[in-house]
Amino acid sequence: MNKVKKLSAIVPVLTLAAGLAACSGGNGKEASPSAGEKSAEATKASASASASSSQAAGAADTSKFVKISYVILGDKPKNGQFDAALAEINKIMKQKINAELEWKWVEWADWQTKYNLLLASGDPVDLITIGTDWLDTWGNAQRGAFMNIDDLLPKYAPVTWSSIPQEDWAESKYKGKIVLIPENAYTQWVNHGFFYRGDWAKEAGITEPVKDWDGIEQYLQYIKDNKKNVIPWDATAAVSTFGGWVNSYTKELELPISTGWLPVFTTKSVDDPYTVVSPIFDEDTMLNYATKMKSWADKGFWREDVLNYKGDTRTLLKGGMTGLDQHHTQTFGTLRVDMDREQPGSELQMYPFARTNGNLLELSITHGGTSVGAHSKNPERALMAYDLIRNDEQIYRLLNYGIEGIQYEIKDGKRVLPAGYDPKKNEFYSDFWGGRNDKLEIPSSTVWDQLPTTLYAEYDKIKHPYPYGQFVFDKTPVDAELTAISQVTGEMGPSIAFGKAGDPAKAVEAFKTKLKAAGYDKVKAELQKQLDAYKQQMQG
Amino acid sequence: MSAPRTAIRVDGATLLVRTIGYGFIGAFALVCLLPFLLVVGTSFTSESSIARHGFNLWPRVFSTFAYKIVFENPDLIIGSYWVTIGITVVGTAIGLFIVAMTGYALQRPDFHYRNQISFFIYFTTLFTGGLVPYFLLINQYLALKDNYLAVLLPGLLSPFLIIMMKSFVRSIPHAITESAKIDGAGDFTIFLRLILPMTTPALATIGLFIAIGYWNEWYNAMLFLSPDMKYRTLQLFLYGVVTSADFVKNSAAASNVDLRDLPLESMKMATAVVATGPVILLYPFVQRFFIKGITVGAVKG
Amino acid sequence: MNGPSAAAAPSDAGPAAQAIAPKSKRRTAWRTLLGNRTLLLMCLPAIAFFLVFSYLPMPGLYLAFVQYNYTDGIFKSPFVGWDNFRFLVITGDLWRLTFNTIAYNVMFILLGNALQIAVAILLNELRSKWFKKVSQSLMFLPYFISFVLIGLIAYNILSYDYGLLNGFLKMIGADPVKTYSNPHLWPFIIVVTYLWQSTGYGSIVYFAAVMGLDSEIVEAAEIDGANALQRISYIVLPWLKPTFIILLLFSLGGVLRGNFGLFYNLVGANNSALYATTDIIETYVFRSLMTNFNFSMGSAVSLYQSVFGFCVVLFANWLVKRMSPDNSLF
Repeated sequence: MNKVKKLSAIVPVLTLAAGLAACSGGNGKEASPSAGEKSAEATKASASASASSSQAAGAADTSKFVKISYVILGDKPKNGQFDAALAEINKIMKQKINAELEWKWVEWADWQTKYNLLLASGDPVDLITIGTDWLDTWGNAQRGAFMNIDDLLPKYAPVTWSSIPQEDWAESKYKGKIVLIPENAYTQWVNHGFFYRGDWAKEAGITEPVKDWDGIEQYLQYIKDNKKNVIPWDATAAVSTFGGWVNSYTKELELPISTGWLPVFTTKSVDDPYTVVSPIFDEDTMLNYATKMKSWADKGFWREDVLNYKGDTRTLLKGGMTGLDQHHTQTFGTLRVDMDREQPGSELQMYPFARTNGNLLELSITHGGTSVGAHSKNPERALMAYDLIRNDEQIYRLLNYGIEGIQYEIKDGKRVLPAGYDPKKNEFYSDFWGGRNDKLEIPSSTVWDQLPTTLYAEYDKIKHPYPYGQFVFDKTPVDAELTAISQVTGEMGPSIAFGKAGDPAKAVEAFKTKLKAAGYDKVKAELQKQLDAYKQQMQG
Repeated sequence: MSAPRTAIRVDGATLLVRTIGYGFIGAFALVCLLPFLLVVGTSFTSESSIARHGFNLWPRVFSTFAYKIVFENPDLIIGSYWVTIGITVVGTAIGLFIVAMTGYALQRPDFHYRNQISFFIYFTTLFTGGLVPYFLLINQYLALKDNYLAVLLPGLLSPFLIIMMKSFVRSIPHAITESAKIDGAGDFTIFLRLILPMTTPALATIGLFIAIGYWNEWYNAMLFLSPDMKYRTLQLFLYGVVTSADFVKNSAAASNVDLRDLPLESMKMATAVVATGPVILLYPFVQRFFIKGITVGAVKG
Repeated sequence: MNGPSAAAAPSDAGPAAQAIAPKSKRRTAWRTLLGNRTLLLMCLPAIAFFLVFSYLPMPGLYLAFVQYNYTDGIFKSPFVGWDNFRFLVITGDLWRLTFNTIAYNVMFILLGNALQIAVAILLNELRSKWFKKVSQSLMFLPYFISFVLIGLIAYNILSYDYGLLNGFLKMIGADPVKTYSNPHLWPFIIVVTYLWQSTGYGSIVYFAAVMGLDSEIVEAAEIDGANALQRISYIVLPWLKPTFIILLLFSLGGVLRGNFGLFYNLVGANNSALYATTDIIETYVFRSLMTNFNFSMGSAVSLYQSVFGFCVVLFANWLVKRMSPDNSLF
């Protein structure tokens, strides 16, 4: 009642709306769309370490038994299946390196607070999941959260060390020291797009794969006119599509910095990735977007009160109560299988935003990875454990798939569900996103098997290499401005994105004014400055 | 309860007040009840009905599905109940005693240090070190990670309750204490034997607040009790039930069900009912302590 | 006989009422300590508690002035002065936020207490035990409904397309309301929700206070011919004044701290149409730090709120001390 909370009231107690993030993989949670990466400038210097995989694992001292903790994001499964698999893993671990793994779950409830608190409080974690675009890895590196592992890697994680090429190690450095092991050998596409139903698209007269937002508009209009009781796109305001629009209609690239709800800064193009521009200020991109979204709102494609709606679009899609969803390719892989089961014949399709203009970048290899905590007491053994997790086939399978015979069986080179599989009793996930490995991956029957031949093939044709792997933006000179900008995008972004901001032109003008007041120019200048230096580093 | 009345004429103004009283309180109580009925009703409604017609007081299509899912792991939920009850009972007992003792001491006009100590306690409501130092304190310095004490200890006292207690006890005349002292009783004995029994309404109020605080406690549990613990507090458990989509998606009860009927909204309601149910029963139990304190007729002249 | 004025503490009798012949200062101080030793001991658990849980972490406030480095720790991190406060003032929103936060809190405090007092007094006037018991239990319920649920229920009632309110309006032939697009409705909605949620719970304090009122006084007044209204005005309300003042002073310390759960769940995090009238400091900061997570900035805001509340309380307490010194907080 009148009690004053002892804790800072700022830290939100419930962050249900804070982008639920994560890569897919076992339990299908999605990655945060904004490619925000905290970075500081990487100074050159990294000498080429010998890539030879010499060294003996026996050189390490394993006489003392230790427990290695690995921090993972997710809710711990309650059915004991993960614990069973972990026990098996630990048998092997004990035998090989006299250590055991402890899986430390940071649950989704207020995960951002807990993850950062763990690091801030100097907790002696050994290994921890990282992600430069959603877990503020560079920011945390700058704050001293991780241990430098340059010298430890070749000795204690030799297989990993030699399997990762030097240019990839170069992208894992903060101020010249390696602070993370990237998940670089795992095929993932987390580029975003719209998911739409193939069957309804055919009815609407759309015979070819949708290739732009007008196609989507046609699709949604059809649903509005012909499907009773179906809201064409029953979206929630947690979805931010401006980045997608920029991707579809310009050649601009998104930068690895976070400006909150939508991207404010981009670079010109693949040919000129060092010149900072803004899709909000420099052309009509935002104005066009706002106008289009307003028209969609007026047409009734989503609820009137979309900004406060708290439903789950994906579940509604599976229940046939809406026709559109938005997320990335990885999610699509599993969703397609779900939809084939729940809505047979729906033939879910994906329109990736990058398709319109061929504006597709490869995924940053540091989207997933593992770091060693700065206060770890057993970094050597931790790295040895990691080496096994990443490269030992038996452990890899146990960790990612579960126990053979219970969670999966192998048929024709694919994983299938065994006969007695009970979803509740046998469901398994480990949320390991810190070092998956294509070499050891076994495709699963729960992921759409035509993914490689359709979307992946398309991507391979148009993709460009990721130009910002070694770019770490040091935001300390403009931290306050960035925070203020994040506030502005969070405040006004959703209404513009869902056409609830009145006259689009006026709304965009007001938005621009507020951004300027928040320090847009200062941040742009700083960004350009650091990119110029980066250009020097890359080309000079 | 007041002493039996002598035949005093009930006048117009009193009648007016009583009518307003019954009317206003009755209406307000109803307004308080209705949304709760909405929650209960919705918890028993099938999800597809909710999607089509929204929440309702009376289930259009009755379904106990949500409860099936919530109680799917009866071991876990019962364990959570016991943990929470245990923490609540122990915490309330200890906390109430300390609050009462401190409140009494602080209102004694002959206590030289009362103003300083009052300020000392009150000041903590104005300034706080923040989340990081607090986390460091509990997690590292006190090493209470994964320990129920991390939830129990911080909730024991609150400056508000101590000051409230002080205010309540002040209404007992100091003369009582003085005469007891003359009889040779020590401060603590006076507190324990004499004052405490006189402050039952205050104790009931404060005890209730402490208990409810513990029952609703979620944040400390979220910060300090990791999933490595088998049983955690009820609110945390229920929150996990609601936010963990996998829980629902993969529960046995749901595996053969039309996704339109997956109880998401109704489950949120069901967890609310499950959490609140027992506490509602607490109040009537405590209510009987809201009697008029022993009057000061004991010390006259 | 003790009248209602006994509720107000007997005026402070000054230090140690014992009549000790004044010796040297040191001996008097030691004597005071000894004389009060039991009372001091009785306060010890509380003192220890607050020392550990509140004062020990308090220096951590320094976090607001540094650029937090996890390896250096709070006190060795580089000092940056007011930098962490800048994000609040850059866009000029701070005034609006402060005003909103305070305005809502003042409404909550005044209306809340008024309603709680009314409920307590009315309850006390009623005769039916059964009615009192049941109604009090019912009034209690809203306090247990979490803000998340309240937000959901509110959406179900107020949403344009399928909400109960518009369904009802359509039924009686009136125009549906676009509640979530109309900022002017929301101060009302928020205050009403707050009152609904906290009145039952809060009235208990006043109810307990009323219980402490000596029934002999009341009966004496009745015998003298006072009717209910007079009784309430001249006896009960003054009796409750100290409680009200204490609660008021107490709430003022947190006058700049908003109720995040209430606002976040009712208004949501994405509806800017409503922010002009509903944005408070907490929700603003939440949006700022959501993707740019920063402990120092959060700490800076908390410090601002604390200092502000502190000044307000100092002032209010000084006022109260001048008007009725027995009721001041310190």
